[in-house]
Amino acid sequence: MDRLIDLIPLDYTESVVLIGAVILGVAAGVLGAFAVLRQRSLVGDALSHATLPGVCVAFIATGAKDAPTLALGAAAAGLIGAGLILAIERTGRIRPDAAIGVVLASFFSLGIVLLTFLANYNNANQAGLDTYLFGQAAGLLEGDLEIMGALCLASLALVAIFFRPLKAGLFDMSFAGSMGLPVRLLELAMTAMLVIAIVIGVRTVGAILMVAMLVVPTVTARQLTSRLSTLLVIAGATGAAVGSVGALISNSSNLPTGPVIVVVGFLVALTAIAFAPGRGVAWRARKILRERRRAANEGVLIDLETALHAGAPPTVDELVLTSGRSASGVNRALRDLDRAGALERDGDRIHLSEQGAAAVHALLRKRDLWSVWLEHGWRLELPDAREPDPRNLRHTLGDENTERLLAFAAAGGDARPEGEGRAGEGGDDE
Amino acid sequence: MSAPAAPGPAVSVPPALEVRRLTASYSTRPVLWDVDAKVPAGALAAIVGPNGAGKSTLLKAVVGLLKVDAGHILVEGRPAATALDRIAFVPQRDEVDWDFPITVREVVEMGRYRSAGWLRRLRPVDREAVDLAIERVGMTPYSRRQIGELSGGQRQRVFIARALAQESPVMLLDEPFAGVDARTEAALLDMLAEFRDEGRTVVVVHHDIGTVRARFDWAVLLNVRTIACGPVAEALSDDSLRRAYGGLTGGEGVEDPTWIG
Repeated sequence: MDRLIDLIPLDYTESVVLIGAVILGVAAGVLGAFAVLRQRSLVGDALSHATLPGVCVAFIATGAKDAPTLALGAAAAGLIGAGLILAIERTGRIRPDAAIGVVLASFFSLGIVLLTFLANYNNANQAGLDTYLFGQAAGLLEGDLEIMGALCLASLALVAIFFRPLKAGLFDMSFAGSMGLPVRLLELAMTAMLVIAIVIGVRTVGAILMVAMLVVPTVTARQLTSRLSTLLVIAGATGAAVGSVGALISNSSNLPTGPVIVVVGFLVALTAIAFAPGRGVAWRARKILRERRRAANEGVLIDLETALHAGAPPTVDELVLTSGRSASGVNRALRDLDRAGALERDGDRIHLSEQGAAAVHALLRKRDLWSVWLEHGWRLELPDAREPDPRNLRHTLGDENTERLLAFAAAGGDARPEGEGRAGEGGDDE
Repeated sequence: MSAPAAPGPAVSVPPALEVRRLTASYSTRPVLWDVDAKVPAGALAAIVGPNGAGKSTLLKAVVGLLKVDAGHILVEGRPAATALDRIAFVPQRDEVDWDFPITVREVVEMGRYRSAGWLRRLRPVDREAVDLAIERVGMTPYSRRQIGELSGGQRQRVFIARALAQESPVMLLDEPFAGVDARTEAALLDMLAEFRDEGRTVVVVHHDIGTVRARFDWAVLLNVRTIACGPVAEALSDDSLRRAYGGLTGGEGVEDPTWIG
C-alpha cells in the first residue's frame, strides 16, 4: 500500500483518499449491480441507512472508534436489516416496498437516537461518529485502505468464480431453481455482497447517500452495454471514476464528501441517460421524430396522388383541405418532398415528378403487399422466427418468401387446401 | 444366469411424471389439495383448468420452486428432487425483466450451465447444443440481440431454446402461449409436437380447451383437486369440464361446454 501511495503524484492524504474512493467505487459499482438488476435498489438504500445504529452500538459496546470495529457493527446491522426485510415480506404478506420502508425508517431513527444519546451523555469521545451520516473522505487511514481493498478483492473474486450461477439467478430465479441451484442461498449471497459494498463505502459516502453509489454505476453502464459481464466492468470503472473525482473535489474544497460524490454521479448518469448511443433519450427522440416525419411525408405523398387521381393538380390549400392534415404539417412534408425531387410545381399547383410517381407507386405496392400478407400470410411457412414489419414487408420476409406470398395471392382468394389449413389453426375459424 | 431373452417381456416404462396425493399451499389456503396425476412418457400433455386452479403451482412444485405440504412427485419413477436433471422447465415469460443486459445466445447458454458444470466454461459440445437449440426455434438471425428487442413470440422461442439446450427428456412449460399471436402459437405447437415425436414428454400449462382437444394427447384437468386425468377425449369430457368449471359457460377458454373440436 505504501508503494502505491508513493506512486500517485498527490500529497499523502489525497493519495489515501483517492485510493479509498477507487476501492469503494469499484465495490459499490460491481456489487450494487446485483441489487439494481434484481430491481432491489431500494434494499441498498434501506441497508445503508440500517448501518447507522450498528456503528453506534459497536462504539457503545467496545468504546473503540477504529474503522474495522465500526465496520463490523455496520455489517451486522446491515445483515439484520436485510433479514428483517425478508421476514416482513414473507411472514407478514407485506409488499417489498413497504417492508423496505419500515426497515429503512426504523433503523435510521434508531441510529439518530443513539447518535444523539452519545452526543449528550458520552462527552467528546464520540465526536466523529456523525460523519457516518454524510460521509467524510478525509478520515480515511492507510490501515482502512488495506481492509477495504481486501474486502473488495475478495468479493470481486467471488463474483468471478460464481459468475454463471449469479447470472442465472439474477436473470431468472425460477429457472435457476429448476436447474437445482439453491435459490435462497443465491439471494442471501447477493444481499451479503450488497452489505459488503455498503460497509466498504458508508464511512466515505455516508449512510444517507450511499445508495447513489450503488445505483449510479449500473444505470450508467446499462446505457452503454447489453451484456452483463461488460456491464459489471463498466459499472466498476464508473464507480471508481465518480468516487475518486467526488472525493478529491470534496477533500480540496471542504465540502461534505457524500453529497459531492453523489452530485458527480448524478451528472454522469444523467449524461448517459441522455446521450448514450442506442438507448439515450436524445438518440431515441431523434429516431422517433425521423420516423414520424417519414410517415407524414408518405401520407402527404399518397394524399397528393389521390387528389391528382380525382382531378386537377391541387394547390397547397386544397391539399390541406382534402388531406385533413394541419397546414404546417403539409407544408413541412411538401418541403421535404421538394427537396427529394418528388414534386413539380405549376404555379401554385402541385404535380408529382417522375421520381415522385415512382415513390408513390412503390409505397402503394408496399401497402398492397401488407394486405396480401394479412390475407394469405398464414399459408406461408417461414424458415425462422422473423416477424413481418408493415413498413417494409419484403425486407423482413426476404425476396423469396415475398414471391411465394404473391404466388399464393395470384392463385386465388380462397385456395385453402382441401380439408384443413394448418392443423394448429383448426379450431377457431371453423 | 440366463442370457437375456431377445425381445424379453415388455418392461413397463414408468410415467414421465407422476404426482401422488400432493398438497401445496400459499400461506394457509391450499392451492393443490390431494392431487393425483400422471403423464405417460412420450405424451404431449396439457394441464388444464380455471384461473387459480393450481396449474402453475403444480409445475413449480415439480421443479422444486415450492415447498409442498404433503405428497410425492416422481419423475420417471424417481423422486423429483433427485431427478431435476431430467426436467427442462420453461417459466412464465412475465417473470423476468426483459430489459436485463443479456443476449439471446446467453440466455440459451444457461441451459448448458448445469451439464457443463456451474463454475466452468462451456465446452465445444455445449456450444453446439446451444447453436442447435437456437436454430431449431428459428432464432439464429437474432442470437446476438438483446432480449428486450424481441417480440413476445420470439421471447417464448428463446425460452424454449434454453429448455431444448438442457437436453432433458421431460419438458415443462408454464403458459407458453400467453400473449403470443395465433401464427406463433401454431408454430410453437408444431414445435412441441415435434419434440414429442422425438420421444420427449412435453407438459404444457394451457387454458384453451379447443387447442388442447385438437393437438394434445393427454390432459390433466385440475381445479385444486384433480378432476380428470387421461387421454384428452376422456379427460375433457363435457361432464368433467362442467365439474372443473362449475358449470359456468364463458369460463376461461370454454365458451360452450358442448363445443367439440
